[in-house]
Amino acid sequence: MSVGSTSLIAMPARWSADRVLDLAPDESSRRSAGALGRPARWQGVGVAGDVLWGLCAGSGKNPYQVAVDLSGPAYKCSCPSRKFPCKHALGLLLNWANGSVPEESTPADFAAAWLADRRARAEKAEKSVVRTDPGDSQSPAVPGTVKDQAAAARRVQQRAQRVANGLAELQSWLRDQVLVGLSATPTATSAAPSATASARGHADEIAARMVDAQAPGVAAVLRGLSEIPGSGEGWPGRLLGEYAQLHLLARAHQRLGGLPPDLAATVRSRIGYPTSRQDVLARQSVTDYWVVLGVRDLLDGQVPGRRLWLRGRDSGRWAMLLTFAAPGGAGGAGGWQDPDTARLRPGTELHASLHYYPGQPALRATVGERHAQPARAERPPAAGDAAALLAGYATGLEQDPWLTVWPALLTGTPVPPDGGRPGDRWRLVDPGGVALPLAGRESLWTLLAVSGGYPVTVAGEWHPGGLLPLAVWHRDRAVAL
Amino acid sequence: MTGARTVTDGSYVGAVNASFDDPPRRPDEGGRTVSFEDLVTAATIGLSRKPLAITGLDGPAAGCAGALDAGDQAAALLDAAALMTAAGRGGFQPEHVVSGQPMVSGQPIIGPPPSPEDAAPELSPRAERALRQLGGAQLAPGFAAGDKELLADLLAAASDAGYVASAPLLPDLLDAAVRTVSLRPAVTAVLGVRGRWLAGQRPDWQRIVDAGAVPMTAPSNDPELWRTGTRAERHAHLTSERERDPDAGRELLAADWARLPGDERAILLAVLRHRLSADDEDFLDAALDDRAEAVRAVARRLLTLLPGSGFVQRATDRATAVVRLERHGQRPWLNARLPGDPDAAAIRDGVDARPPSPAIGIGAWRLTQFIAAVPLSGWSALLGLPASDIVGLPVAEKLRLDVHAGWRLAAVSQRSGEWAEALLAVGDPEDGDNRPPAAWPDDQRLAAALPPSTRAARAAALLAETKLTPGPAAANQAIAEVGGVPIPWPGGLADAVLAVLGRAASLAALPRLPRGLLDLAARGLPATGGRDYAAELTRLADARPQTWTPLVRKTAETILLRRAFLEEIR
Repeated sequence: MSVGSTSLIAMPARWSADRVLDLAPDESSRRSAGALGRPARWQGVGVAGDVLWGLCAGSGKNPYQVAVDLSGPAYKCSCPSRKFPCKHALGLLLNWANGSVPEESTPADFAAAWLADRRARAEKAEKSVVRTDPGDSQSPAVPGTVKDQAAAARRVQQRAQRVANGLAELQSWLRDQVLVGLSATPTATSAAPSATASARGHADEIAARMVDAQAPGVAAVLRGLSEIPGSGEGWPGRLLGEYAQLHLLARAHQRLGGLPPDLAATVRSRIGYPTSRQDVLARQSVTDYWVVLGVRDLLDGQVPGRRLWLRGRDSGRWAMLLTFAAPGGAGGAGGWQDPDTARLRPGTELHASLHYYPGQPALRATVGERHAQPARAERPPAAGDAAALLAGYATGLEQDPWLTVWPALLTGTPVPPDGGRPGDRWRLVDPGGVALPLAGRESLWTLLAVSGGYPVTVAGEWHPGGLLPLAVWHRDRAVAL
Repeated sequence: MTGARTVTDGSYVGAVNASFDDPPRRPDEGGRTVSFEDLVTAATIGLSRKPLAITGLDGPAAGCAGALDAGDQAAALLDAAALMTAAGRGGFQPEHVVSGQPMVSGQPIIGPPPSPEDAAPELSPRAERALRQLGGAQLAPGFAAGDKELLADLLAAASDAGYVASAPLLPDLLDAAVRTVSLRPAVTAVLGVRGRWLAGQRPDWQRIVDAGAVPMTAPSNDPELWRTGTRAERHAHLTSERERDPDAGRELLAADWARLPGDERAILLAVLRHRLSADDEDFLDAALDDRAEAVRAVARRLLTLLPGSGFVQRATDRATAVVRLERHGQRPWLNARLPGDPDAAAIRDGVDARPPSPAIGIGAWRLTQFIAAVPLSGWSALLGLPASDIVGLPVAEKLRLDVHAGWRLAAVSQRSGEWAEALLAVGDPEDGDNRPPAAWPDDQRLAAALPPSTRAARAAALLAETKLTPGPAAANQAIAEVGGVPIPWPGGLADAVLAVLGRAASLAALPRLPRGLLDLAARGLPATGGRDYAAELTRLADARPQTWTPLVRKTAETILLRRAFLEEIR
């Protein structure tokens, strides 16, 4: 109950008990929190502004000191549990949710000290740039003195020169491939893909040179080429297509100055010029209720990554979020550079301001300010049909000729291959009778189970030649595929 | 197609052109218009071996031919490939499917007709989550290690409560059923209409559904099903016919008896257990002559349940000929003698000539069988004593083992709790004298015939008097006793198991007995009810952490997940 003292600090709105319990990492914490949610176990509780604190009698000699920063939220507890939040933090929050925590004017000593510590660490973190992908800038974006600016300009120029030189070398390499003949590509002549032979692909060396030339995006594409010669029928066509795209990129870089700014930004981004997250956050944001429609784990690159597709309810705009595994982490189980983003699942609605990266079409974005806790979306945004999807992709290609993935949200019925007809594939048929090829394997059976032969709303990625479904809506929730 | 129009519109061309140098002069004569395949062929062979001069491009990219590099054929080829790749991607032409079939909610359908609606409620998302966490590796891919018996328990509970599996679970459940035979009954019980529809889309799944003797949700009155249906359908049809009209059911079976294969005859004959009456005697008696032993065994079992039948009369006559109650002064005792050769009727009734082990005498084995064939309720009538007194009678001349073997076999096959209890109480000092299981059901098998509550009480009593670290044989026996009790355990047994774990709390290494009990406890300890076993286990784990404490926590977590699941299907 409120003590009635007039507090000058703005109080955040009290959370509901359900919201508190949703934070529980597992069932047993949820249960234990219930038991600790009563005032009897607590002493010295209070809340002031954003910080909530209390002492809980535990099994040890001294009571545990528990504090919660509601703006994070972040938790601190002196109990030995490794869970976040631990049952004491949850119990304290439950007490607060039930109204049994009095408002105070100043926090308890231990809570105040922790809060001050946190604020100091947060300021330090803001000053340094957060790396959200390998291409992000390593140097601080904060401009300093005139001397710093001149040095920065010199660095930019040197980089551009290195990239230009590297791409020239790439173009000459590409010409050689075509002159000598694709059939001479190593592992092309051996019938079986070599598993025990060295894992060096035919383009690994030129890829390394691109890394030296500060063009990591190009290097990543080149590394991916080594799979193609062993990939089965039609591989020379696929390889030629990739070479042609690289060639186009190199030519585009030659004319970088003459290109329209957004196209130039796209070219730079594809080559691998770094963009600092701070710079992106400084750009104008789009605030909306963003529904997470699909999540895809990217396991092929050097660093595991995760790609999320979001669509704004009001604006109808698409956004793509990317996060990569933290150094030393495998990506799963919390080893992400941006865990709040990595945790988002299909069917979640995020009320936030997103900032788009430079380039066209505007897809890649980063989350700026969050305005509410993520909630469950009960229905998807309005879905389109196959024609709209293909038209959208074509429009995207107009702006970015190197575009190979496009977000999809459409209604359709999955159709399994008919055993009788050879070469038959899974298809998704929209209400107009247009059939798109479906990619994916085990996930397609889940899609079929949810559909039951009826049209369903499917979210996924369109790649040239096929749709990869990532989530399907079943009644009032999204099922990840 | 939008993509193609875009290219010829020039707006797309603008982007691509912006990447190229200004259009150069025309290349030399002798060039040609190429398609993407031509480019691929030329590139595969190598331009140094066979040059290619490009003057024109096929398809949507035709308008951009002027942008190609004039000086360098390799660069020109790459330019052309770039243009055509982009054109191809933007100009993708999907199939248009012809609709010639009925419409459902305004959409044309191709492919499988949609699944009918299911009235049964679906498992909630919370139940689904709990099931995935517990089902674990059985519901691969990507889930924590789990236990197939636990999964089967929960699926059975869901099915009993009238729920069906939620649609996203179906493929994983079906895959699990394909991989693990013991899961098939539990999975088929929760498939529901949607699950059966889904199984119909894949031959390996369809086999599971066909093979399972699944009780249909609605009784089938369709005679066609009997003639042309699958085994499961025939079984269901016969069962519903038998319920409706026992005589008609029997006659239906009798009519087609000859054409059915042996194993199916046995399964269908067992259906006559429902609404069994004296009218069935003739048919069952005839089945004693069947070719298949399985069929004969079922016939014998069913005839034993008809006290007025000729079969039972013959068995009783044979037994009373060799066993007699005598009074030696005040104390009664059982006089027995070894029977002579069995006659043809006895052999037809199932008396084996050869004992299962050379250590058992032929006559002794006959005695055992004669006694085993009599319905147990008959003994009290014959001897005028209750079961507990009968088993306590002294027996003549070293024949005690054979007589008790007969009673034990009867108690097991007739599932008599009363006799099992009596025989267990009296025990056997020689413990069967190393006879094989076919000739001597041991205490374990006898206990299986006990009613669950008695069995649980017995197990609890055994635990109470067992040491914490008995020898391996005693520990295994206790674990087996507890393991045989149907789950979830009644309160008395659950408390006893918890008590054992509590006694072990202070030990650094977990001995065999508590370890075995802990493994069983995840399934056995009740998840709902008066006492919160999960909380007790957690308290145990928190109080004195040992190296084996994580196992206890894991068991507690499992019980909580079971509880979450059961709450969702209440």
